Amino acid sequence: MNETANETGGAGPSHRSVEIGVAGFMALLALIGIYGSLKVGIGWGDEGPRAGFFPFYVSLIVLVSCAVNLLAVRQTSGQKVFAEWGQLRQVVSVLVPTIIYVALVPFLGMYVASALLIVFFMRWFGNYAWHTAVAIAVAVPVLTFLMFEIWFLVPLPKGPLESFLGY
Amino acid sequence: MEDIGNLFHGFAVVVQPFNLVLMVVGIVLGVIVGVLPGLGGANGVAILLPLTFSMSPTSAIIMLSCIYWGALFGGAITSILFNIPGEPWSVATTFDGYPMAQNGKAGEALTAAFTSSFVGALFAVIIITLVAPLVASFALRFGPPEIFSVYFLAFCSFVGLSKEPPFKTVASMMLGFGLGAVGLDQMTGQLRLTFGVEQMLNGFDFLIAVIGLFGIGEILLTMEEGLSFRGKPAALNMKVVLQTWARLPRYWMLYLRSCLIGCWMGISPAGATPASFMSYGIAKRISKNGHLFGTGQIEGVVAPETAAHAAGTSALLPMIALGVPGSPTAAVLLGGLLIWGLQPGPLLLSNRKILCGA
Repeated sequence: MNETANETGGAGPSHRSVEIGVAGFMALLALIGIYGSLKVGIGWGDEGPRAGFFPFYVSLIVLVSCAVNLLAVRQTSGQKVFAEWGQLRQVVSVLVPTIIYVALVPFLGMYVASALLIVFFMRWFGNYAWHTAVAIAVAVPVLTFLMFEIWFLVPLPKGPLESFLGY
Repeated sequence: MEDIGNLFHGFAVVVQPFNLVLMVVGIVLGVIVGVLPGLGGANGVAILLPLTFSMSPTSAIIMLSCIYWGALFGGAITSILFNIPGEPWSVATTFDGYPMAQNGKAGEALTAAFTSSFVGALFAVIIITLVAPLVASFALRFGPPEIFSVYFLAFCSFVGLSKEPPFKTVASMMLGFGLGAVGLDQMTGQLRLTFGVEQMLNGFDFLIAVIGLFGIGEILLTMEEGLSFRGKPAALNMKVVLQTWARLPRYWMLYLRSCLIGCWMGISPAGATPASFMSYGIAKRISKNGHLFGTGQIEGVVAPETAAHAAGTSALLPMIALGVPGSPTAAVLLGGLLIWGLQPGPLLLSNRKILCGA
């Protein structure tokens, strides 16, 4: 990661490094796609293309495009900043709790996990008082539960609390 | 004649109390979704899609069309009052809408915006009504090679219209195809790209992809730009509305031009955003007050709003008749139709009801 400061103030990763990173990541996905396609066969079967035919060529095109983009990166300025570290920190501070929330859903169920997420965001970002945060964090999942489980009969992932209550 | 009969039948269905309530709820929800930056029209429809699973397909389509339409308008409200475009196609509305609000003419700008959206959408609905039966009978002759060509054309125009270097667009598009290929292959019945994970049997769910890409992406983008919210007060009383209405007919040529631009862009896979920019740009060049655009000209609000709504509504046409979505929100609506088992194609009767809902 090149750290460069520029006229608009604020340092951050440069456009060039981010481009290289994204191209590399997509190339990795393409390689996974190629590997998976080869496993099911990429040639022509009895009645037409085999299962891996389409994803193989699609991944190949992604790989080639990434290579072209990597070559084009040399024209990208190493000076221009992609985003300031401060901005990225804010993005990550939303992203990481969301990822933790998703990881918790299979264990705690969606409703309890949502309550925790709401409390967390309201306290950390919103600086709301505890009683407001807890009140809303309890009200929203309860309302959602009533709406989805009881009204629309759409089952959402539930956890130990709901089994304890008999649902 | 049969079409008009279907149209009236559609109206009769729509006017049932339940459906009317749904329309009001849909429009309110749509406007809320459109006003909130970070939740665009596609997200709103995607998030509210599961709500409609317990309704009959007709009611569901009515509600979703109203959400779609409400979201289209919600974007204009924040563009004019807060200079925050709630939707990508409202960006052009901020150019003259926000200066108008700053000059104290917010009420006029809002009136112009919602009138223009209505005119644009109505024009597009009429065009769809007239053109759809022709397109539908033509669609019956579509076989796999023709469908492939239509999609190929659509994707090529994405590459052409995008301002990113073409290879980036191609890479993203192909990655999308790759994600879609995960799961059970319909032709050979084999599992591909699942790597033994049994949850991947059905591949990546459409709704998940939409909420992840559009919803979470937008929210993170809003976080990155900081959540600042400064608004301009607006008073929308009847006098302002009537005064603005009196002034608007003068711009009928502008309306016609913007509607045509919008319909063309909506039917081709360009969508509402390029329609609004193109309409604004052309209006600026042709109008007598072109050099004043950007300081608060009412034409600068009329042009993009009309085109964006005409495009948004006519984007439904290729979706319904040919199964090719003309805009991201239409793509989500298409997904919804598929989930209910309605194969978009020559669906004339559903067509009427959607038009009535919209």
